Amino acid sequence: MNDGPVSTFQFLGLTFSTANIASASIVFVLVVALVFFTSRHLAMKPTKGQNFLEWLIDFTNGILKGSIPTKEIGGFGLYGFTLFIFLFLSNELGLMFNIAMPNGATIVRSPTSDPITTLTFSLMTLMLAQFAGINKLGYKTHFENYLKPFKVWIVISIFEEFTNFLTLGLRIFGVIFSGEMLLGIIWKLAASHGIATMIVAVPLEMAWQGFSAFLGAIQAFVFVTLSSVYISQKLEVEE
Amino acid sequence: MLSHLVVGAGLYFGDSIFYVITFLLLLWIVKVLAWKPVTKMMQDRADKISNDIDSAESSRNEAADLVQKRQTALANSRSEAQTIVNDAKTNGQQQREQIVTQAQTDAQTLKQNAQKDIEQERQDALVNARNDVADLSIEIASKIIQRELKADDQKALIDSYIEGLGKQHES
Repeated sequence: MNDGPVSTFQFLGLTFSTANIASASIVFVLVVALVFFTSRHLAMKPTKGQNFLEWLIDFTNGILKGSIPTKEIGGFGLYGFTLFIFLFLSNELGLMFNIAMPNGATIVRSPTSDPITTLTFSLMTLMLAQFAGINKLGYKTHFENYLKPFKVWIVISIFEEFTNFLTLGLRIFGVIFSGEMLLGIIWKLAASHGIATMIVAVPLEMAWQGFSAFLGAIQAFVFVTLSSVYISQKLEVEE
Repeated sequence: MLSHLVVGAGLYFGDSIFYVITFLLLLWIVKVLAWKPVTKMMQDRADKISNDIDSAESSRNEAADLVQKRQTALANSRSEAQTIVNDAKTNGQQQREQIVTQAQTDAQTLKQNAQKDIEQERQDALVNARNDVADLSIEIASKIIQRELKADDQKALIDSYIEGLGKQHES
């Protein structure tokens, strides 16, 4: 959570947040490490790491199959899988590490506790949905879907795209941001009056961490589920 | 707290671009490292399992066929054995009858031959005896004649003798 000053830097005329870059890089490395170490020595009879990885792939494929027809999944499987582990690790990262610089600016936290991250992923999903729709149906059919069931519907359709974008991104942001914020507040409480509040607050903190870990998993799941729903909506011709 | 959300106060679009690039890179790395080989392995496994099921099915059918064939062969061999035994029995019967018939025929032939021989011998003996009697009678006659040769007596004697021979022969 970034309550205090925000550390930013300029590069090529763009503003970057140090916390986001650092956290995302850590998650990036974690994801690569996860898939690297679990995919060694692949065999017909799977062992520990491979079992886990295959279970994860089956899990995300299962999420996608819930809304996209099996024969059309194709590359979306990879997208859903990567998205799920990236978001899950992002959500959990802030629960374990919340590192601040001496001036109070956080540099390691959940990347998903910043709306810019979640909205980026949300936008990416909706762009992918548009692309998939055009790729499968062609420009004409794809954009005609906005005029169905009647032409006036186009207003609602376009508005819906916008709300999809916002709700998809802000839902996960809200949950993770509030989780981290509450963790910070509980920690402040613990530190406020010495040992007495510590005894009360530490179990509370642990309980909330556990709950947040659960919420982080749920939110990653929900994000992938909704992504597949939005993609599948663009893959079919509306009646 | 939400100061960074205010547009202009530091909405860092740079992060967006960074995330997009990072994520695309991540997609590529995950694809190369894990996705392709693991999904390929999973597909291979699925194929292998379905192949195994198919081959198990086919070998089961094969086994069933073999059992069927074996049973047919067993039944065939049983009936064949039956046929062989029957043939042997029939052959034995025929041979036995043939042998008996042959033996009977042989015995018959032998008996007939023997009878023929006996008859022949009897005829020969009879002819011999007749010749002998004729010779003897001629001898006797010549001896008697040498003693007292009277034509009338002689004639009566020969006639009676011949008559006697004829009667004897007829009987």
